[in-house]
Amino acid sequence: MPTSDDLNRWIIAVARDADRQAFAALFKHFAPRVKSYLMRCGAAPAVAEELAQEAMVVLWRKAALFDPRRAAASTWVFAIARHLRVDALRRAVPMADEELAPDEVPQDPTDAPATPDDLAQAAESERGVRRALAELPPEQALVLRLSFFEEHPHARIAEQLGVPLGTVKSRIRLAVGHLRRLLESNES
Amino acid sequence: MISHHPDDDLLLALAAGGQEPGAALVLRAHLETCPHCRARLGVLEAVGGALLDAVEPALLEPEALARTLARLDRPEAADRPALRPARRRPELPEGVAWPASLRECAVSGWRWMGPGMAYSRVRLPHDPAAALFLLRIGAGRELPRHTHGRLEFTQVLCGEFDDGRGVFGPGDFDAADGDVRHQPAVRASGVCVCLAYVSDGLVFEGRVASLIGGLIGM
Repeated sequence: MPTSDDLNRWIIAVARDADRQAFAALFKHFAPRVKSYLMRCGAAPAVAEELAQEAMVVLWRKAALFDPRRAAASTWVFAIARHLRVDALRRAVPMADEELAPDEVPQDPTDAPATPDDLAQAAESERGVRRALAELPPEQALVLRLSFFEEHPHARIAEQLGVPLGTVKSRIRLAVGHLRRLLESNES
Repeated sequence: MISHHPDDDLLLALAAGGQEPGAALVLRAHLETCPHCRARLGVLEAVGGALLDAVEPALLEPEALARTLARLDRPEAADRPALRPARRRPELPEGVAWPASLRECAVSGWRWMGPGMAYSRVRLPHDPAAALFLLRIGAGRELPRHTHGRLEFTQVLCGEFDDGRGVFGPGDFDAADGDVRHQPAVRASGVCVCLAYVSDGLVFEGRVASLIGGLIGM
């Protein structure tokens, strides 16, 4: 499994040098995961395959917008995949404009290059989120996971946890609040 | 100073891509002005990234990489039309910026809705039926006491109103559901303009006025 430094380096190589070898490495890591994510969200395998490839094409084209100080590579790719999923749902109403809407592009390039300090800090906060996620009580981690990975998250959460739909919202608040407290205590 | 922010579940749904387009637009208008909520969203998006990394990889078709590599060489968006040019937009009070999240929306002129009150219909390119609009309420005006049948999202662009639950000013976000019964009164300091969305309000043109009328109890 590549480290987040590897992933960052590869995306930067794609942006700077149109490096196809780096792209292939990114493809190997992300494309099967994006396909899996889309299938969990209810996409048919063929649609998920198509959108996963599309996500990688977007990665290739938008690589220059990636800023490792603002988000980890996987967070950035998740945002691309999410956008394509939402966009695919919208296609029931066909539109001339299929371009990635500017406000949906997860990051903007900034002029100043990232310093090693910036990168270390970004990597640290990313690790913080992962650590906090791992420390969440299982039922709260489940609420978050289902929120991201289900087509009808609230109904599925209610079903899986055996709680009424009305309490799902408070469970989510609990999970996110817990995550935030863990992040704050990890930071200090 | 922004004092009313969207709840965690709303930002989580936005981060996960599960928010209705109209709701997402009002939330994004809030995020533009609120670094605090941008940071909160950043954490939730990082959760999405972490979950993506941890997911069981799916099997790709054997020629997936080759096909994708071939697509990289195709010229980007060669046959795609450019973004539609900006339309004529209703005038906002001086110094009030248009939310960038409205960039691709069709926005009608101001339409009279009552003394000192006007609305403008905002239509999303991908979801034109979504009940999304701007409300402009004059300084010192008071809306009749009303409740909401459905979830309503509001982002204050300028001015201030007090509805008994609190004072909402520029940059503030409010989500009110059927449990909220309020009577917003716009403060005398100036006109109040809000971006508002009513969840699941499938509206046909011509019914918008009555929907908004219903919202504000007219």
